[in-house]
Amino acid sequence: MKGKKLKSGEIENALNQFLKDEQHLVLGFKKGEGGVGHQIFKGSLDHYSLVNPLFGANAALYLRRLFSKGLKVMLMLRPCEIRAYVELHKLTQVEREDIIAVSIDCFGTVSSKEKKDDVPAEADKLTGYFQDKDSMRWACSVCRERRGVVGDAGVRIDKSGNYWMVPYTEKGEDLVSGMEGEFEEVPAEMLIPESAKTDKFQIDMETFNKDFEKCIMCMNCRDMCPVCYCIDCVFNGDEYLPKGDALLNKVFRTGSTQMPRGKDLFHLIRMYHVSQTCVGCGACEEACPQGIPLTKYFKGVSERLQGVFSYMSGRSFDEPIPYVTFLEDELKDAMD
Amino acid sequence: MAEDEKDKNPEIVGFCCSYCTFKASEMAGSLRMKYPEGIKVIEVPCSSRVDPAFIIKAIVEGADGVFVSGCHPGDCHFIKGNFYTRRKIAALKEMFDAFSMKDKLRLFWVSASEARRFIDKVTTFYNDIKEKNNEREKA
Repeated sequence: MKGKKLKSGEIENALNQFLKDEQHLVLGFKKGEGGVGHQIFKGSLDHYSLVNPLFGANAALYLRRLFSKGLKVMLMLRPCEIRAYVELHKLTQVEREDIIAVSIDCFGTVSSKEKKDDVPAEADKLTGYFQDKDSMRWACSVCRERRGVVGDAGVRIDKSGNYWMVPYTEKGEDLVSGMEGEFEEVPAEMLIPESAKTDKFQIDMETFNKDFEKCIMCMNCRDMCPVCYCIDCVFNGDEYLPKGDALLNKVFRTGSTQMPRGKDLFHLIRMYHVSQTCVGCGACEEACPQGIPLTKYFKGVSERLQGVFSYMSGRSFDEPIPYVTFLEDELKDAMD
Repeated sequence: MAEDEKDKNPEIVGFCCSYCTFKASEMAGSLRMKYPEGIKVIEVPCSSRVDPAFIIKAIVEGADGVFVSGCHPGDCHFIKGNFYTRRKIAALKEMFDAFSMKDKLRLFWVSASEARRFIDKVTTFYNDIKEKNNEREKA
């Protein structure tokens, strides 16, 4: 794979050059007083930060139903955010024409709720900080893809700390050829290695009920999920939840029932509905006011279900989502 | 309903495609064949009409088992509906497997003329679930 080795400051230069056009925008990270957060830059960069060690929300959430109509938007985001964008594109929620998606090597993140003051915002210091996997969010410690290898282009960091810009699509090719430097072979070994495989997720309903005991059905997890995109969600209103007679019926059939009613139903159905598109970013857990370990369930279930079709959410633009396609000769053991 | 009475007679919800399996169940009726009364058949236009959310809702709200049944792959009235069903249900089975309740869901292919096959399939499913429930009762 060919890419360009960049001099320090070249990314900022290129972005500033890109922003000179009135119609161009950059969605990236801004380093402010209270930490690092998402920002849309117009005109020029200001307190720009390439990496963001804090995770609050997945930026693909802001891209839903974004039809840029001639504007050009450059995304300089984490791999999980770019993967969610790729999935939203497949679900026809984002138009791809005017968006250039650049994924940046991710070192891991800490929860923005924790308010750790000692987290550095520079790439070279973060490697040391996240040496110990316990210091990052659980979702990041078991992340499936922390390398910037998704989207139109990627920013990679090699072992000696040099930045590389690697194009993956034609659009990325255009972007990278406009930057300073010569195309060279990209080293195979980078600072961020390929993620290790995690164990198969296995649980029972007792543990599930215990974990979700605290759920208050605020549905923040649904609202902050980047890929849970339906406007008319089945859980808007209470048509889908057992109520009145149906609730008593459920209690008589299944025995004692936790309240608020239907929370097991809500989480299981949502788990299935996002199963093929879940990127395991952990935004749901971040949004949960009760601290339920949602990532464990959503990531575990989605990894198993994607495994059935050897699919990985957000890996490429060309792979269709498994539920909207089929092969005639497959899954022989699905029927009983 | 008393607890033990319910366990004796598990309740099973079946989503049956109106062109094949539902026709087979009607044919079984006209041939005076018998299947357990705990099986509640719901007619759907095509097996791919079944959103897995229906299945999850049925199970969470107290069904002992759910089956989805449609035409044999390739014979769908809407050309390719049951290929999608197969993918969706295979994934849902994997999810139920993760929650250790894989035995609660089954997928059959039964065509309109296969009344006997329909009876066989649903009766086996019913008996398996009944056995499981009795085992759990003893434990």
